Amino acid sequence: MDYDFDRLSVLIVEDSPFIRSLLINSLKILGIGTVIAKDHGGEAIEFMKLVHSDPMKAGVMRIDIVISNWKMSPVDGMMLLRWLRRHKDSPDRFVPFIMISGYSEKERVQEARDQGVTEFLSKPFTINHICDKLVLIIERNRQFVHNHNYFGPDRRRQKTSIDREDRRLLTEKSPSVEVVFG
Amino acid sequence: MADKTKIAVRLYRFKNRLKEQVSGLGGGGKPQISAEALAEAEAALEAMSEDYPDWVSGLIDRLAEQHRRCVDTSEDRRFFFEEISDIAHDMKGQGGTFGYPLISSFAESLNKFSYSKGELTDNHVEIIKAHVDSMRAVITGRVKGDGGEIGIELSKGLEKAIQKFKAREGQSASTAATG
Repeated sequence: MDYDFDRLSVLIVEDSPFIRSLLINSLKILGIGTVIAKDHGGEAIEFMKLVHSDPMKAGVMRIDIVISNWKMSPVDGMMLLRWLRRHKDSPDRFVPFIMISGYSEKERVQEARDQGVTEFLSKPFTINHICDKLVLIIERNRQFVHNHNYFGPDRRRQKTSIDREDRRLLTEKSPSVEVVFG
Repeated sequence: MADKTKIAVRLYRFKNRLKEQVSGLGGGGKPQISAEALAEAEAALEAMSEDYPDWVSGLIDRLAEQHRRCVDTSEDRRFFFEEISDIAHDMKGQGGTFGYPLISSFAESLNKFSYSKGELTDNHVEIIKAHVDSMRAVITGRVKGDGGEIGIELSKGLEKAIQKFKAREGQSASTAATG
């Protein structure tokens, strides 16, 4: 059975016109119903606000997935991610977010993870890489974690046993942990 | 009595709305991206790749322009190197997607080099030029993929040029120290 992406709305945020065209074309060919592109994080924030306040004017009821480049000016992908996850005006703090980046250093990936990125797509990428990330987002519906210094998808992706001391202080059974279903 | 335990962690477990949205009607088995659409997207990328040399030539021109400024206005080299580093960062992330991994590889080298915090001498400026020339050769010769023999020659040529100017730099530094 093939996925039917027709009802999906994806926001692309990319400053390079060439890569932006590639992403728009590819997603449309893959069947994504609505693809909207913005040049940098600032434009994306304004657009997300508009979707929330006046969806008719925005031309879309909601954004299902954000795909954003990291290095952009004046507002980069990391600032956009932080705004979406933490700002009081964010219309959807849970929106899946794919960060695209030519930064491949481990510390950079870690930084994005700690800001609540859902998936990280390294440049240069292929069409298959884009598809892999889409499938991961659809199939692996991770819980969101909110504590004093993090808000975002659960950073522990696998349920494998830990072969060293378990440093987690809290479990879902702890009185100070609340599980919200929705 | 009400439970006054302070909540330290909240876990949000939502149903997979996205999956419901993309699950088509009918048909069984593991859902996948349509093989037909995937092939079509690959073909579109292939077609777009034909325009990539023109696009990237514009970026190489911008690098050459920044190099020229480094030569003409040496006191502002730090700023021009930052510009070069930014352009190279973008190029690094694009070449491989459009079938020119050598551009990504040379751009990565340039990006790392131009990010230098140290002194920026004429030899360093020559190393920038060596990168620009190598990239230009890749595009002029339409050297796709690893480029085979030509690719190896271009990579070796760039490495040789880098080493030559680094050696010169070392000599100048030791002359300055003993002079």
